[in-house]
Parts: sequence; C-alpha cells; structure tokens
Amino acid sequence: MKRFREQRVVFSLIVKKPISLFSLLIVVSFIVIGVSAPLIAPYPEDAWGLTYNVEKRFLPPSIEHPFGTDALGRDVFSRVILGSSFSLIIAIGVIGLALIIGVPVGVVAGYYGGRVGTILMRVTDMFLAFPPLLLAIVLAATLGRGLLNLIVALAISWWPWYSRLVYVQTNTVKNMPYIDSAKITGLPSLKIMTKHVIPNALTPTFVQAALDMGSAILEAAGLSFIGVGVKPPTPEWGLLVSEGWQSINYAWWIAFFPGLAILVTVVGFNLLADALRESADPRIRRTILMRLGVKQ
Amino acid sequence: MPISKEYLVKRLILLILVVTGVLLITFIITRIVPARPELLWAGPHATIEQIQKAREQLHLDKPIHIQFILYLQDFFLGNWGVSWRTRSPVLVDVLSSLTATLELIVIAFTIAFIIGVPFGVLAAIKKYTWIDDVARIVTVVGASIPVFWLALIVQLIFGTWLGILPSAKRVDEWVVIVTGFKQITGFYLIDSILQGNYMVFVDSLRHIILPAIVLASYPFCLSARMTRAVMMEVSTEPHIRSLIAWGLPHRTILFKYSLRNTLVPVIASIGLSFGYTIIGAFMVELVFVWPGIGLYAAMSLLSFDYPAVIGCVLIVAIFYCIINTLVDVIHSAIDPRVRL
Repeated sequence: MKRFREQRVVFSLIVKKPISLFSLLIVVSFIVIGVSAPLIAPYPEDAWGLTYNVEKRFLPPSIEHPFGTDALGRDVFSRVILGSSFSLIIAIGVIGLALIIGVPVGVVAGYYGGRVGTILMRVTDMFLAFPPLLLAIVLAATLGRGLLNLIVALAISWWPWYSRLVYVQTNTVKNMPYIDSAKITGLPSLKIMTKHVIPNALTPTFVQAALDMGSAILEAAGLSFIGVGVKPPTPEWGLLVSEGWQSINYAWWIAFFPGLAILVTVVGFNLLADALRESADPRIRRTILMRLGVKQ
Repeated sequence: MPISKEYLVKRLILLILVVTGVLLITFIITRIVPARPELLWAGPHATIEQIQKAREQLHLDKPIHIQFILYLQDFFLGNWGVSWRTRSPVLVDVLSSLTATLELIVIAFTIAFIIGVPFGVLAAIKKYTWIDDVARIVTVVGASIPVFWLALIVQLIFGTWLGILPSAKRVDEWVVIVTGFKQITGFYLIDSILQGNYMVFVDSLRHIILPAIVLASYPFCLSARMTRAVMMEVSTEPHIRSLIAWGLPHRTILFKYSLRNTLVPVIASIGLSFGYTIIGAFMVELVFVWPGIGLYAAMSLLSFDYPAVIGCVLIVAIFYCIINTLVDVIHSAIDPRVRL
C-alpha cells in the first residue's frame, strides 16, 4: 500500500480542481507582482504619484495606458501595479504583527490554564466584543493617517482571533499522550511548550493566517477609503478608488481598476482558503478524490 | 419555549461586563494612547481656550483611575462631547441618525435572507456538481468584493448611466414637501404607511433599493454558505435518514424537515453578521449619501471630528453587544442545545 502523504494529497486536490488551481495562480501572481512592482510598472514616477501631466488628464484606457490616466494625468495601470506592493506589505505586516501578539497570549493561556489563562482569555474577549474593523477605525483615527499606523490599527483589532485559535489548539495538544510522556521524562515546561506544544498547535493557525491576508487587504482598503488609512499620494488600492470617486461620472476607469484589483486578489485568497478547508475534511476529501480519480 | 430566569440573568450580567470592557478599551485608546488627547478632542483648528476647555471636560488633570470613573459617569449621563462639525451634542446626533441605518440594515438582511437561503438549498441539493461550483464562486466573490467599490459601480450603472433608480439620500425633498410627510418613528417606510402616504412610500422604497442591495452582498453570501453547510450536515443526521427509510417523498423531507432545522442557525449567523454589516454601512452610506450613522461617522472621520467619531464607535459597539446577546438568547429559546 502506498504511504498516505498529507501534503501531497492536499496539493493534488488543489491542482486538479480548476477553480482551486485558478485561485492558486492568482495568489502566486499577486505575490510576484507585489515583490517586483517597482521594476515592472511602466511609468514608475506616475506610480509613486510624484508627477503631474496636464496634457494627459482623464485619458480613457488605451494600449499606451491600459487602465487610462487619472485627474493628474498619471498612469492608472502603474499605480495599480505598485498598489499591489503596498497591499502585500500591509497584509504581511498586519498578519505578522497579529501573530506576534496573538500566538504567545494563546499559547500561555492554553498551556498554563487556570487563573492566568482565564484573565488572558477575558482580555481577548473584550477585544472581540467590538465589531470587526471598528476598533481599527478608532485606533486609526487616534494615531492619524499613515502606512505604519494603519498596520498597527488593523493588527490590534486582529490578534484576538489568533489567540482564540491558538488557545483552543494548545488545549487540544496539551492533553495528548505524547505531552504526558514528555512531562514524565522530566522535560522543563518551557521546553515542552516551545518544542512540542507550539509546533503542533501552530500549523492550523499559520495556514489560517496566510489565508487571512485577503481579508487584511480588503479591510485596509476599506479604512483607506473612508479616510483613515494611508496618506495620498500613496498608491494604495482603497485610496485609489477613493481618489477616482470624484470623477467617476466621466472617468470611471480611475476608480474601477483598483477596485477590480482588490476583488481579484481577495477572491484568490478566499477561494484558496475554501479549497484548503475542504481538503482538510476527510469525508469531503474522499468524495472529491474519487470524482477526480486520484488514488490514495 | 420558556427559558430560565437564571440564564437570562447570567446573560445580562455578561452583557454588562462586556460593555464595561468595551468602555475600558475605548478609554485606553482615546485617553491614554494619544500623547495629548485634548488636542484631538478640540479639533484641528482649536484655539488655546478651546483646548483648555477640552482638557477640563476630559478631566485630564485628575489621576487615571478617577478619570476612568468620571468617563463612565459622563458616558451614562450622556455627556459625549460636542461635535464641532455639526455644533450639536454627539449623543443627539448619533441617536437621530440611528433609525436610517437600522432601516437600511433591516431591508438588506431581508434581501440577503430571501435570496441567500434558496441559493444555499440549491447548492446543497446539487452538491459537488457544476451548480454547486457556480454557487461557491458567486458566494466567494460576493464575500470578497470591496463593498465601497461595489457601491460606486452600482451607483454609476443604475443611477447615472441607466438612470432608473435614485442613487442618493432617503427620499426626494419635493415629495416630502408636496405630500406634507411627517416623521413619527424615523423609519420612512413605516411612517409613510402609517400616514397612508403612498407617494413617500414608493419614493423611499426606490431610494433604499440600491444601497440595500449593495449592503446585502455580504450577509447574502453568508446565509447562502451557511444554508449549504448546515443543510448538508442535517441531511446526514439519523432522524432524516429514518425519514428516508420511512419512505417519505424526497421533497417533503427536504422542505418540511431538513430546511426547518437549517433555518435557525442560518438566521442566527445573519444576526451575528450585524457587526460586519454596520461597518459596511459606513462605506455604503458615504457613497449613497444615506443620512445614517455610517455617513455621520465617515464624514466625522474625514473632517477629523474626534468626539463624533468616538460617539459613533461607542454606540455601534454597544449596539453590537446587545444584538449579539439578543441573538444568543432568542437562539437558545428556540434551540435549547445552545444554552449548554
């Protein structure tokens, strides 16, 4: 009998289904474009928002300017391309910072339990009592506009989800027999926590976190749109839509394309998340594998 | 079905604790995080006297624990500060704009539910077929769409290009003036029916359609996905299987037994998406100039009107906590398993 390889099955599940493969392609190309955007943007000065071309204002989409030009004659395509860099930075920043705060809280609360655990989780619950994004709105309004402030504001409203998730996972893992045997062999509890509990408790959280990048991009764009995100002329997608709003009645392309970029990217992440969630459920996995003709 | 008094008291105490937690976090963010909160409070163009006055209003000269107690006192007495944009007390502004938002959200939830549930049922019946795939793509796209962008596009296409529906405000001014319409509850659709004012009813219905549809995009996807998931789970349960063995027609099982068990968690999940939807309303109202709390909050944010922003945040957060508690209590009254 062939050995059952978890990763390989998940991978084949994703690659064999057209929708999942498509979503994987979106995510990969988003990351590639995001990393190389300053190099591939056709009009780099336009992308950074440093130029002003009076004679090229409000040009509709053409071969020269695939997404048209905006109110200051800047190439919208270049700005959208560079916007993917900012979205990537925001997504990684928000998720990273949220993990840095949320994971230790969840692990400590889950591993020690008792009074420490209760207090930590009550604090987490207090943060979760706010509707999503609302906390980020107050924080962003208090800290002022800016890329770093936006990341901090979103991360502060985001970490409780991870500490919840890690808390539950840690609780499950810590009651496993192998942790008991590690305790019996006399391993110090810090070592048990870092070497045995954390690695096993964190995998689901990290997967979740990677896929949450889509939501982070969406919410950051929303904050920028209502004026508490990044400062102009940063080519952040939400801000680009907001800038294009003023002239939408006669130059729809300025607001349309950045929004489309958000939509496509977030759809990519969310479809991938969906596919992974399905492949994690053994009942569904069996059905799909049978339909695809993959042997286990 | 009755629920015990004990449970209600427990939930009420929990609600009070949660609201206190919300107030504590808001206090920390607005009073301790900024270096000089009075500058934010007084606004960008404040004079020295105004800043000094803000300092006194915020009790910043007192020790921190006293500050927090006075903060709670001010909160419960309704001293929420004065918006310097509208020059009226924040609490008055916020409460008067709440009904417009509620009307919008109720219509949006209704649309989401009416379309979402059949959509989810269809996906569950045709599971793992192309119909299911299409349903999945539609719901994922709907949940991923930036709501402010969707609002702009819908407004552009239906309001500006096609011109079939109005794309701003709640009702046309001239209709109100001509028909002598008066506000009673603040819900225009209800008020106009109460007064038998057919013209205002039709006009406000036409105004609410576009923003409500845009706002419904997220709860629609949520209810469709939830319906599909719960439906598939319910259909594997023993009592459904015994009904199949009993020989009941497929359709009867589906609509009479499976669907009924599905609806309760679906309604609960829509209720719990209230928080997400009200934040969506901030953006939708801004685009459609809908005079609710979202427009008020967004305008305050754009003009750095700090007391007004905090007022909106507090009222929305507390409303959210109350709605969550209500959903839980009602849910547990219908389904006793939730109480565990």
